[in-house]
Amino acid sequence: MAAVAPVVPIRKRRRRPIDSDTVTVGRSRAGTLFANLAAIGFIVVMAFPVYWVLNTAFKPSNEILRFEPTFIPNSPTFDNFKSAFNAPFFQQDLLNSVIITLGAVAGAIVVGFLAALAIARFQFYGRKAIILVVLGVQMVPLVALLIPLYLMMQGFGRTKELPGVIIVYIVLILPYTVWTLRGFISGIPRELDEAALIDGCTRAQVFWRIILPLTGPGLVATSVYGFIQAWNEFIIINTFNDQAQQNLMAWLLQNQTQRGTFWGPLMAGSILTAIPVVIFFLIIQRNIATGLTAGAVKG
Amino acid sequence: MRHGKYPFIIGFLVVPVALYVTFVVAAYVQTFQLAFTDWSGLGPISYVGFENFVTMWNDSLFWRSVQHNLFVLLVLPIITIALALVFAFLLNVGGGHKGGTTRGVWGSKLYRVLFFFPQLLALAIVAVIFGRVYSPDESGLINGLLPSGSEPILFLADGNIALISIVAVLVWQSVGFYVVLFSAGMGSISTEIYEAAAIDGANRVTLFFRITVPLLWQTIQVAWVYLGIAAFDCFALVNIMSVERGGPDGATSVLSLMIYRNAFEFSQAGYASALGVSLFILTLAFAALTLRVTRRDAVEM
Repeated sequence: MAAVAPVVPIRKRRRRPIDSDTVTVGRSRAGTLFANLAAIGFIVVMAFPVYWVLNTAFKPSNEILRFEPTFIPNSPTFDNFKSAFNAPFFQQDLLNSVIITLGAVAGAIVVGFLAALAIARFQFYGRKAIILVVLGVQMVPLVALLIPLYLMMQGFGRTKELPGVIIVYIVLILPYTVWTLRGFISGIPRELDEAALIDGCTRAQVFWRIILPLTGPGLVATSVYGFIQAWNEFIIINTFNDQAQQNLMAWLLQNQTQRGTFWGPLMAGSILTAIPVVIFFLIIQRNIATGLTAGAVKG
Repeated sequence: MRHGKYPFIIGFLVVPVALYVTFVVAAYVQTFQLAFTDWSGLGPISYVGFENFVTMWNDSLFWRSVQHNLFVLLVLPIITIALALVFAFLLNVGGGHKGGTTRGVWGSKLYRVLFFFPQLLALAIVAVIFGRVYSPDESGLINGLLPSGSEPILFLADGNIALISIVAVLVWQSVGFYVVLFSAGMGSISTEIYEAAAIDGANRVTLFFRITVPLLWQTIQVAWVYLGIAAFDCFALVNIMSVERGGPDGATSVLSLMIYRNAFEFSQAGYASALGVSLFILTLAFAALTLRVTRRDAVEM
């Protein structure tokens, strides 16, 4: 298919010098336009609800309840954020969220890195079994484990406390962490290990000085993913703990059921709880694709 | 270099293995054990043999829940993967053709960030948002757009569309993740392959079906398994969004919701465990089946 004669002169001028020596087959101009329109339509559907949350959160309450929806707040206000922040248990649960998430991610990264090292760098009896268990755990629906986990925590006297939840979250994040880090470590050539060993490194030094620094981006990507999982979890904590030891997601859920129509503070609260995750995501968004494929694609 | 290997292996693996044995393996053993009791969640435990499983077999809500699970299992991955593939394709190679290289549509870098946002929002937040979108009166995002005078669509209260409405939210939330996942996969497909095919006269549709999909088959398979697991475990969203939790009249009930309610509301821990066992078996069967069916030689690049 020959290139269709350009209709808009300005595009013709821009394209001609670049395209003069390349073959432009298979791509019609109309198709490009259609592709772009499809992408825009899709993104509007994807983004609109998020926009609506932002919109509602900045509206004063009388504007939210108005019959005709407005697309931009007439008199933007931070009142909703203030009332969400000062709502009962918000600050307590924020602190809990931070403690639980940091604890769970730190624990999962340390344990997961060592486990990934063992799986990626050594051949040993039972290696396949461990890999299978790690992958299998990801598949098992969490709800089926709630009863025994609850009993266990009760047995240890760890319900209504943060450490119990932290341990359960570590178990929750660990499969992904191990699997992804294994991918990253497998990507580091073994020749580097061997060269360092010949130069007189001990095996521990190889891990500490060679593999750990080279896994850096992987550690960042995995910890962010773990952070998102732990930060957003609410089923376990909602079941195990009382209101004083819950996290922000559980707080959000309870306020949704209790104060159904207080849209403004609820939306503002949603935004506040989502901010840390969004920030972390923006920091690593370049690497996240690498992290995903390192874990997912390499069989 | 062989000697001194096992101290490292044991040292590295002792903590994770201990964690799994305690919190997953032992927990599952306990679930299987409780499935044969009539335990209420408190007080004495007595074994009742297969009674829970007989009850389950005769429980019409159980069968409906399984049906709903299977429905979600079929619909969620198909729609999500199809949408994600198409848009990953648009972002990577669907745009114009400039300077001898294929490229994505305009603004594809921005899209990549935006697509991921729903994934970042917790289900608790997503439920809040879509409660607003589906609201049956004129304040609802969709019903507000309908011409006045027409019957409002009761997304969550009409048993015929309640489940699909919730599945739509799941699709909305998960599609971004798979766009990014597939984008990463497509990034590793050499553009020369596309160029060669384009020179041979392939258009976008041909490129998509003959090049992208076969080369991404492994990634698609992984996505299918992940989404299948999500479909079995769609507890959180159903729990928050559906009317009367699983309603109207059981129209959105899924297995995991039944487990939760039996365990923590109806004081039927034994029965809940029996349901847990069946969910466990169903999930494993799905995973095994998927891996077997989709096993197909990956195209070497």
